[in-house]
Amino acid sequence: MATVSVTTAISASQPLAASELAHACGADTEWVVQLVEVGIVQITAAEAPPEHWRFSSTDLQYALEARRLERDFGVGLDAAALILDLQHEVRRLKAVIRAHGLR
Amino acid sequence: MEFKDYYSALGIDRTASDDEVRKAYRKLARKYHPDVSKEPDAEKRMRDINEANDVLRDKEKRAAYDALADRVARGGHPEGDFQPPPGWDAGFEFHRGPNQGPADHAEFSEFFSSLFGEAERRGAARRNYRARGEDHHAAIEIALEDALNGAEREITLRAQELDAQGRPTFKTRTLSVKIPPGVHPGQFIRLAGQGMPGHGGEPAGDLYLEVRIAPHRLYRIEERDLYMTLPVTPAEAALGAQVKVPVPTGGVVEVTVPRNARSGLKLRLKGRGLAGKQPGDLYLLLEIALPPADSEAARKAYEQLAQASASFNPRHHLGV
Repeated sequence: MATVSVTTAISASQPLAASELAHACGADTEWVVQLVEVGIVQITAAEAPPEHWRFSSTDLQYALEARRLERDFGVGLDAAALILDLQHEVRRLKAVIRAHGLR
Repeated sequence: MEFKDYYSALGIDRTASDDEVRKAYRKLARKYHPDVSKEPDAEKRMRDINEANDVLRDKEKRAAYDALADRVARGGHPEGDFQPPPGWDAGFEFHRGPNQGPADHAEFSEFFSSLFGEAERRGAARRNYRARGEDHHAAIEIALEDALNGAEREITLRAQELDAQGRPTFKTRTLSVKIPPGVHPGQFIRLAGQGMPGHGGEPAGDLYLEVRIAPHRLYRIEERDLYMTLPVTPAEAALGAQVKVPVPTGGVVEVTVPRNARSGLKLRLKGRGLAGKQPGDLYLLLEIALPPADSEAARKAYEQLAQASASFNPRHHLGV
């Protein structure tokens, strides 16, 4: 018998708070502030205090990947931001190549 | 359950220093990183080395693992039938370091979870630690139709409990997941309270499922847009036509192929991609399919076409 629990799709109408993003990554809110500072995650109103920040699924994906890079390779968040940008660009280009049936 | 040799996974000796563990891991992680690796089993290898690294770079886990490996070697456990002996971890205490997210654990093997999952929790309990349970992460693969229309899917997770002898055992539990219409690849679905149990009476963590969409027979996904190859005849491409096209939400629509359409032309059906605040589009990539010249009538028709377009040279740009 399957247990039914409350299911939410993380989206624009149901975003994550900074504390939730931090908890999902096993980190604290201060770490999320650093992610915002280096631009790994995006906030719309930079002047708002962290408790008003809202994050999307993409932000969670980037934050989890940044956490792994930090832990496994000991990279700083600035370098993690660059690695993530390059990684996502590679994935985007590979998808374009596939979409054109080239590979 | 199979006993895992974490040292051979990283290609190192048991005497390897912390620095050697780190170097071996980083080298292999670059080799098998799914974004750059050419190896066919890169994803699985990456999981294995991540798991080995998680144990061997942690002094306490490594010492306990070494002690267990010795006991297994002495006891001669047959491979593939491994159960950790009761109290195998007595005297060791595991805890998560400040840089140790819970993020990867859901992908690790049963062997890893049975040794370290419960032990981490007991370690936390011994220290009178109070905190909400860790969030867990897993992935769910769904069909494109389910992503577009929404669906209800069941997933099975392994949860760990201690039996009467205090040995970790696995219970599988089935969760019913409501997938709302319009989810896209990379989006997370959160199941409240389905993560790790809380410490010291605090609530459980949540389970995050990352949505993956299974490859589809007709449509390819790129961000929120969908792509489909639309074959047309030379006559349809040259003269223009109304053709029927299946759409992913079900049903068929009529599409106008413009006159003198060339192969590779992209037709856009606005808003027929993945739903969302800014819905994606459905792109049709035109592909001209030649009718075979396998009858007298067809051969004649091709000959007439050749005569009618004698001045047309498709190799003009090659200078021949």
